Amino acid sequence: MIALRRYGLTVIAVFSTVIIFIVPFLFIVLTAIKDRTEAARLDFSWPTNFPVWENFWTVISTRNFMLVTAYINSTLITVGAVTLLVILAAMVGYVRQRRKGWWNGLVDFLVLAGLMMPPAVVPTIWLLQEIGLFATLHGMVFIQVAYNLSFCIILYRAFIATIPRELDEAAIIDGARPLDVFFRVILPLLKPVTVTVIVVQSVTIFNDFVNPLYYLPGNQNVTVQLTLYNFQSQFSTAYNLLFMNILLVTIPPLIVFLFYNRQIVAGMTAGAVKG
Amino acid sequence: MADLALKSIHKSYGSVEVIKGIDLDIGHGEFVVFVGPSGCGKSTLLRMIAGLEEITSGELYIGEKLCNNMEPRDRGIAMVFQSYALYPHMSVYDNVGFGLKLAKAPKEERDRKIREAARILQMEHLLERRPSQLSGGQRQRVAIGRAIVREPEVFLFDEPLSNLDAALRVDMRMELSKLHQQLGATMIYVTHDQVEAMTLADKIVVLNNGEVQQTGAPIDLYKNPANLFVAGFIGSPKMNLSPVIAGEVSGSRIALGGEGLEQLSYAFDGHRQKPGDRLTLGIRPHALKISETGPVKGKVDLVERLGNETIINFRLGNGEQWLAVVDGDAPIGRGGAVAFSVAESDIMLFDENGENVRCLVSAVDGEI
Amino acid sequence: MMAMSSSATASNAPLTKRQRTSPYPTWFFLPAAIIYGVLFLFPTFSSIYFSLTRWTLFDSTFIGLDNFAQFFREPFLIQGVINTIIFALVTCTLKVVFGLGLAVLLTSDIRMRALLRSIVFFPVLVSAVGVGIAFTAMMHPTRGIINIALDLVGISGPGWLTNPALAIYSVALVEVWRGVGLATVIFIAGIMSIPQDYYEAARIDGASAWERFCYITLPLSRPATVTVIILSFIHGLRNFELVWAMTRGGPGFASDVLASVIYKQYQAGFYGLSTAGNVVLFVLIALMAIPLYIYLNRREGHQ
Repeated sequence: MIALRRYGLTVIAVFSTVIIFIVPFLFIVLTAIKDRTEAARLDFSWPTNFPVWENFWTVISTRNFMLVTAYINSTLITVGAVTLLVILAAMVGYVRQRRKGWWNGLVDFLVLAGLMMPPAVVPTIWLLQEIGLFATLHGMVFIQVAYNLSFCIILYRAFIATIPRELDEAAIIDGARPLDVFFRVILPLLKPVTVTVIVVQSVTIFNDFVNPLYYLPGNQNVTVQLTLYNFQSQFSTAYNLLFMNILLVTIPPLIVFLFYNRQIVAGMTAGAVKG
Repeated sequence: MADLALKSIHKSYGSVEVIKGIDLDIGHGEFVVFVGPSGCGKSTLLRMIAGLEEITSGELYIGEKLCNNMEPRDRGIAMVFQSYALYPHMSVYDNVGFGLKLAKAPKEERDRKIREAARILQMEHLLERRPSQLSGGQRQRVAIGRAIVREPEVFLFDEPLSNLDAALRVDMRMELSKLHQQLGATMIYVTHDQVEAMTLADKIVVLNNGEVQQTGAPIDLYKNPANLFVAGFIGSPKMNLSPVIAGEVSGSRIALGGEGLEQLSYAFDGHRQKPGDRLTLGIRPHALKISETGPVKGKVDLVERLGNETIINFRLGNGEQWLAVVDGDAPIGRGGAVAFSVAESDIMLFDENGENVRCLVSAVDGEI
Repeated sequence: MMAMSSSATASNAPLTKRQRTSPYPTWFFLPAAIIYGVLFLFPTFSSIYFSLTRWTLFDSTFIGLDNFAQFFREPFLIQGVINTIIFALVTCTLKVVFGLGLAVLLTSDIRMRALLRSIVFFPVLVSAVGVGIAFTAMMHPTRGIINIALDLVGISGPGWLTNPALAIYSVALVEVWRGVGLATVIFIAGIMSIPQDYYEAARIDGASAWERFCYITLPLSRPATVTVIILSFIHGLRNFELVWAMTRGGPGFASDVLASVIYKQYQAGFYGLSTAGNVVLFVLIALMAIPLYIYLNRREGHQ
C-alpha cells in the first residue's frame, strides 16, 4: 500500500516535471539544431538533418564575432565584480557582525534598501557620464558591485556569526593588527561562504540583462545577454540561430550549476529558515 | 621582571558595573588563580589585563608600564583560551608560529622556537597536523605552545581545562604546575573550579559580584575564610552553615544556642558579641568527629561509604541538613542518632554581615 | 568610537591619552560605502529632484509635479502601474502556491528527489531573456507547441501574447515557471528544518496527511513563506526582462509594466518623465513591500 503510494507520487512528480520543466529545454535544444525551415515551424519534432556545426558557426561569426566579444566582456565584468564583491562584502559583514556601534542600524537599513529598491536608472546614467564611467567595462563592474553588495553582505554576516570571536582575540594576542586578523585569520575561514558568493554572483552578473542594456551601449561593449536582444531582431526569421544563441548563453550557468548545485541552493535560500 | 599591579580597576557596560574597584598586587613568578562563580567578573578582569576589554577606570601596571591604553601585543602577555581558539586553517606548526610570523621573526629563529616549545610540551609529532585532527588534550597543548613561543612575561589562562574530561583535567593540571616551575613566568589563571584553584595557586583571588572577597594562599583561605562567601566557596564538600544566637558570655567565652548544638562554646577575645546576637556557625564536614558525648547531635539521613572515608548526611534538631566526613568505614546506620565533637579551632563564626568574627577580632587587635 | 570616548572621559582619565584602536576598524565599511553611496544612493536621491524637471541630461528645467501629473493622466502610463501590481500579485501568489506544493512533493518519500529538485531549480539560473524568447515561440498563437498540445485535447488555445487582455498574465505565467524553483528550494529548506518528531507525534495522535500539512508544515514553515512572499513580490514589482523579451510591453501598451515604461521613456528622451516613473516605482515598493515586510515579521515575533 505504502509502496504503491510512493510509486504513484513518483510517477506524478516525474511526469509533471518532465512536461513543465524539461520540455521547454528540449524545445530550445531541438530548435537550435534544426535547419532554418524546420525551425520556423516551431514544432516539437525530431530534426531531419542536423546542421549543428553550421548553426554554431553562423551564430559565433555573426556581426564580426560579436558573441566572442560578448563572452570576453561578460567574463571580464563578472570576474572583476565578483572579486570586489567578495572582499568588500566580507569586510562590511565582518565589522558589522563583530562591532557594536550607532552605525549598525544604518548599515542594516542600507543593506535592506539595496536589496529591495530598484536603481534610479536615468540619474545613474547621467552620473556615470559625468564621472566618465558610462559605457565602460569598469563602470559596469562598479555598478554590479553597488547593486549586489547587499546580498553578499547578508551572506557574509550570517556566516561570520558562526566563527567564534575567541579566534580573533587569539590573533590579537598573537600580535595581529586589524588587517592581519581579517586577511590572515577571518578571510581564509570564510571559504565556504565565499564559494557560495562567487558562484551565485557569477551567475547573477553573467545573466544580467537590464544593467548592460542601460549602462553599456555600443557594440564593442556588448555582453552575452545583450547579444540575445540584438539577435532577436536580426534572426527574427532564423529561429534555429536564435535558439542556438540561447543555448550557448545558457551553457556557462549550466556548468556552474552541475558543479556547485549545493552552494547555489544554499546561498539562495540563506535566511529563509531564520526569516 | 613583570609583576602586576591593579589599582582601583573598574569596568562598566553602560550603567551596569561588572568590576567594582579591584586592587591587587601580583609578584613576579607567582601563580595566581582568580576563582569565583560564573558571572563574578573573573574572566572580564583577565580580559582587561590581556587588553581585550577596555578598562573603564583605574590603572593597570605590568612591570613598570601603565598598560591601560596599550595594545595587547605590546603588553608582554600570552593567553590560552577556554575553547583553545586554534586557527582551523593552519597546521599546528603554523598555529604556534603565527605570532612570530606577525612579529616578522627570521625563519630560523621561528623554527627553533616552535620546535623548542613542541619539545617542552612533547608534541613534536603533531606539528604537521591540522587542529581538527587533534584530541582535546592535544589542542590544549598547542594552545599552550602558542603562548610559550611568545616568551611572555605573563601567561593568562581563561578556564583552559574546562573542556577536557575529568581524568585528562587532572593530568593537564599537573603539567601546568610543572610548566610554571620550568618557565618561572607569572601566570594568571581563571577558573570556577575551586579544586583547580587550590591545587595550582600560589595565591588565590576569590571574586564575587565584581569584588575581591579574599586574597591569600590556598590553605589560608581554607582555614581562615574572610567571610561566608569564601567559606562556602572554598572546600569540598561545602562547609556546614547554621544560624545561631549568641548566648551567655562568660569571661572570654561565648555560648552558642541552637537546636542540636548543645554546649557549644567559642573563645573570643573581643567585645563585639553580646547575648542575643544573630550569628552564623560554620564547621567543615571534615572537622566533625564521631563522639557519643559530642555537642553536635542529629539524626542520620544517608550514609555514603567510599571506603577510605564515610560521608554522613544528618539532620540537626532544627531540621538543617549537615554533612560529616569521617575516616574509614564508620559503623553508622540510617535513621540512628549520631553525635559529633569538634575542636574549638575548627569552629568558625560569622557575624550578621557575613564577616568572619575571628578575622574581625584580629583586625581589632591589630588596631590596639 | 563614540561609546568608547565617552566612557573614557567619564572615568578618572587614564594617564596616556592615546586611544586604542578597535580590532574592527570602521574604515572597513568605506570602500563598499563609497561604491554604494556614489552609484546607488546618490542617483536614488537625485532622482527625486530630476523627476520634477524637464531634463536633457545636460540641463534641467524645474517643472514641479508636471511629470507625475502626466503619469497619472496618460492612460498607457496608468496601465503600466496597474499591470505592475497585477504582475506582482499574480506571480507572488502562484509562486507561493506552486512552490509550497512542489516543496511538499519533493520532500516526500519519492524516488529521484535530488534530481527533480535540480530540474525544478535550474530555470532560475537561465537568462530571463533566453527564457522569454523561447516561451514567445512556444506561445505562438497558431504554431506554438502550447496551443498545438491544447488542440490535441480539444481546447483551442488563446493568443497568449497577442490578446491584449491576456498578455500580461501570460508573461506572469512564464515568470512563475522561471522563478518557482527558487520558491521551492526556500520552502524545502523551511520544511527540512522542521524536526521530524512533530510529524511522528502527530501521526501517533492520529493526524491525517492533510492535517499534518495544515497543522505542522504550514505554520512551522512560516519563515520560509515570509521570505518567498517578500522576495517574489518585490521581484514582481521590479520585473523588466521577461516583459521586454516577450512583448516589449505590447500589444500596444497592454502589457507594459513600470520598468518597461521607464525604459521606453528613456529611449524616447523623456528623461524627467522616465525618472518620475522610477520614483513611482520606489514609492510603490515602499508602500507595498515595506508594510508587508513589517507586518509579516511582526506576526512572527508574536508567536
